[in-house]
Amino acid sequence: MTEESTEENVVKTLHVLSPVPGVCTPLGRVPDSVFAQGLVGPGVAVAPLPEPIDAVAPVDGRLVKLHSHAFVIRTPCGRGVLVHLGIDTVKLNGEGFVPHVAQGEEVKAGQAIISWDPAAVAAGGRDPICPVVVLDTPAELVRNITTEGTEIASGSPLFTVGPEN
Amino acid sequence: MGDKAERILAGLGGAENLVEMEACITRLRTEVKDASLVDQAALRAAGAHGVLCSGTVIQVVVGPEADTLAEDIEDLL
Repeated sequence: MTEESTEENVVKTLHVLSPVPGVCTPLGRVPDSVFAQGLVGPGVAVAPLPEPIDAVAPVDGRLVKLHSHAFVIRTPCGRGVLVHLGIDTVKLNGEGFVPHVAQGEEVKAGQAIISWDPAAVAAGGRDPICPVVVLDTPAELVRNITTEGTEIASGSPLFTVGPEN
Repeated sequence: MGDKAERILAGLGGAENLVEMEACITRLRTEVKDASLVDQAALRAAGAHGVLCSGTVIQVVVGPEADTLAEDIEDLL
């Protein structure tokens, strides 16, 4: 929560959309302990379709962090939502990832943030799975998680966060 | 922040123990000379959400401030 949080914002439910088209997968199955153990927060992963795609914003807010292979959006109610495109993709040094917005910009849910090709990531020996994580949030606030194994379209509801009570 | 950087560097065994460090979006990936000098409790006390050790590769989970923290630590080296 940040200073600009208001009581009105806190009781709102945050709807988090899938940033990529793919198959819903529990975070615990992501082959990276930081995500699998929920060390940065709770969430869901999406195993993306193996074709060139745009990763879209899962929520409205400010793009507070933009790396070539990952980004964080800070919502108006102060939550940070992290999207990570593949595992160990920091090692690719941005190759194959094309950003469409700049860090610090306001973005809308569903807006294209980064173009990339999960099949190319997989061909390089890395898992292209995309953890979608709500930072610094109690796991019990993450609800309405799309059933494991469901095929989900980009921009479709993935899970909700809150309300707090 | 500067203080946090100092405490994390100390928890990793100090500048002389650090071989390599890079920031991913949520974590510092570091390689140290001597993993026995890494103080996980101190790293957690400094604000790390978790510490993952695999041989001399130590990952310190710090959240999305990882890149600014890495710059602060590099300033201390």
